[in-house]
Amino acid sequence: MCHQTVSLIARHLEANGIPTVVMGCARDIVEHAGVPRFLWSDFPLGNSAGKPFDVESQAATLELALRVLETAPAARTTVQSPQRWNDDAQWKLDYNNLEKMTPADLEERKKEFESVKATIKDMPGRTGA
Amino acid sequence: MRPAAEHDVPVLYMQRTRDYYQALGFGAYRWAHYADTPFTPLAKPLAQSRLALITTAAPYQPDKGDQGPGAKYNAAAKFYKTFSESSETIPDLRISHVGYDRKHTHAEDPNTWLPLKQLQLAVKAGRIGALTPRFHGAPTNRSQRVTLETDAPEILARCREDGADVALLVPT
Repeated sequence: MCHQTVSLIARHLEANGIPTVVMGCARDIVEHAGVPRFLWSDFPLGNSAGKPFDVESQAATLELALRVLETAPAARTTVQSPQRWNDDAQWKLDYNNLEKMTPADLEERKKEFESVKATIKDMPGRTGA
Repeated sequence: MRPAAEHDVPVLYMQRTRDYYQALGFGAYRWAHYADTPFTPLAKPLAQSRLALITTAAPYQPDKGDQGPGAKYNAAAKFYKTFSESSETIPDLRISHVGYDRKHTHAEDPNTWLPLKQLQLAVKAGRIGALTPRFHGAPTNRSQRVTLETDAPEILARCREDGADVALLVPT
């Protein structure tokens, strides 16, 4: 949801005269919504601003986002960061991948999701995830 | 030039999420999708511009359970109203309230989801004119209507109040 939320906000700011750039990891969600400028890091979700404990990676990610902000020629400009998370890219096969889950995993996740829903239901007037 | 592996392509998060929730017995979610996209050129160089940072990370709430590295999805730590804090310090913001990659992201370094330190350095170096006095926290909501009708206008109003020329948005 995070990537969709900021995409909607970027669109709103931009439509009202404030140029924006999104830096994120979920390329399909951001491009499906459509944002003016997007720096895409092909990293696991949670690392939109660079690699952990790697100041160089974080500085380079911000600098590239700023360059995208300055130089994008038109809306829906996506630039892919040249940084790689690791060499084998095996991490891409894991996130919420049914092929890697047993029926027992699924059952556990279903229970967890029901409890999350119950928690959110108790919150003041909103639904979210 | 090394060839890349077959699986080394952008993760299809929308498809994965759709399949996953269907397997759990829940209906499909319709993701935001637009044909047109607004575009506003920069009015002045970045070195003379004031930048607003917008994050989806959440302020740490000690009474709301585990929000630290490795914490399970913690819906109690979610927030439902836009918040703003000073951009001059580094706040304690966490990401246990959202669905990040809990296997490969250990959530031990906040700089991976909040580039405030790097932004402060960029201002010092003259790369950016200034940060707005506040950065803003955006609630993540399944309801696109709530984001569009409540949260986005609120964040726009706060950006305007702070004299933002440009904005950097960082999802988790």
